Amino acid sequence: MGKLEGKVAVITGGATGIGLAAAKRFIEEGAFVFIFGRRQEALDAAIADLGPNARAVKGSVSDESDLDRLYSAVKAERGTLDIVVANAGVGSQLKLGEITAKHIDEIFDVNVKGTIFTVQKALTLMGKGGSIILTGSSAGTTGAPAFTVYSASKAAVRNLARTWVEDLKGTGIRVNVLSPGAIATELATEALGEEGLKAYGSMTGFQRMGDPAELGAAAAFLASSDSSFMTGSELAVDGGLAQI
Amino acid sequence: MGKLEGKVAVITGGSSGLALESAKRFVEEGAYVFITGRRQEALDEAVNQIGRNVTGVRGDASNLDDLDRLFDTVKREKGKIDVLFASAGKGEAAKLGEITEQHFDAGFDLIVRGTLFTVQKALPLLNDGASIIMIGSVASVKGFPGFGVYAASKAALRSFARTWLNELKGRHIRVNVLSPGQVDTPDSQRLDKETREMFESLIPRGKMGRPEEIAAVALFLASDESSYVNGVDLAVDGGFSAI
Repeated sequence: MGKLEGKVAVITGGATGIGLAAAKRFIEEGAFVFIFGRRQEALDAAIADLGPNARAVKGSVSDESDLDRLYSAVKAERGTLDIVVANAGVGSQLKLGEITAKHIDEIFDVNVKGTIFTVQKALTLMGKGGSIILTGSSAGTTGAPAFTVYSASKAAVRNLARTWVEDLKGTGIRVNVLSPGAIATELATEALGEEGLKAYGSMTGFQRMGDPAELGAAAAFLASSDSSFMTGSELAVDGGLAQI
Repeated sequence: MGKLEGKVAVITGGSSGLALESAKRFVEEGAYVFITGRRQEALDEAVNQIGRNVTGVRGDASNLDDLDRLFDTVKREKGKIDVLFASAGKGEAAKLGEITEQHFDAGFDLIVRGTLFTVQKALPLLNDGASIIMIGSVASVKGFPGFGVYAASKAALRSFARTWLNELKGRHIRVNVLSPGQVDTPDSQRLDKETREMFESLIPRGKMGRPEEIAAVALFLASDESSYVNGVDLAVDGGFSAI
């Protein structure tokens, strides 16, 4: 018997990469999963891969009416919600001196504002035993050239969990941050190339990039009652990248 | 099939509390477990409770000869270690102004020196890809009055994890710290009602952790489920240190 038997999960940014890996693992563990993403083509491919216990809702976390449609779909089909993985995120690089208001707005709208509304709108469907997972990043605690805005947005995400521990007191809903680093997603492979991946991976304690499935395992741990005494914690899944 | 099938685990300070609970869980998941403790009686009782696939080795984690005996036994019986769980530790309170040399030495001998030599002496037996777990404490990131020495000793373990992550790179050995908050162990059960309620009021979850909740996280860190988790300090404290 899986450790998420009968649970209902929402995963934003769930059509590719880390979100998709989490969706796969959740379904293996017995959950029903709603994935939310912006590109219909990617959503269709993900659903073909995930099978009958997954549904796709197209939309952006930076659009409140899209999020309303997502949760209406969850309510209509399943009635309640146990797990939210607020994973949708964007990133681009600009050095101090070149940063524009547009660059800040694009990143903060999705990573911070989008995360806040993803969680806030989910709450009415959630109850005791609920688990919220926010995707942070090793960038939230490290300094990398040209990552001012992305890193700050992920540091903000880590802090959301601290306040929400207090705001969710008495509800039985937990909130934790899962902070990946050096994960070999398709996006990372495209951005860095094979050589870049190798160099990045060599900075970790394992001298390799992480596999998205390793993130899926950690997400399942945070989603399940295995982490029942954890709330407000940050779990880095980065091979040690942000620890040294 | 269990998550630790065929694995050999060594748990220091394994005869009570969250470490004992972890030992039970590891055995349920297929591991063979060596536990240590200073008191023969408590150790025998723990071995009884675990019931199978367990060896108790009496010893003090701050005593280097005892550690040699422990690892000689492991070597003779199993020849390898996959999971090393260094949990031996105990904290006494003393405020700045009242700290004695004896208080400092007792804390640092067991927690810092004891953990360091536990890991160092285990190294020849640790498999490549092994998982080392050290028990830290939320005290290390908070400022509880009277717990300066204890908190500093636990902070030292968190620092060891960073250095060892780099030093053990070539062998793919993972090193993580599990930092529990207030857990409902036999020690906590001795607290009077008022102190207990005071502690619980500080935990956002509103209730102390149960030893089995810590054991579930220890299992995550011990198993392949955490294969890309390295060098972290994982707070398992009902939100206590997050705020």
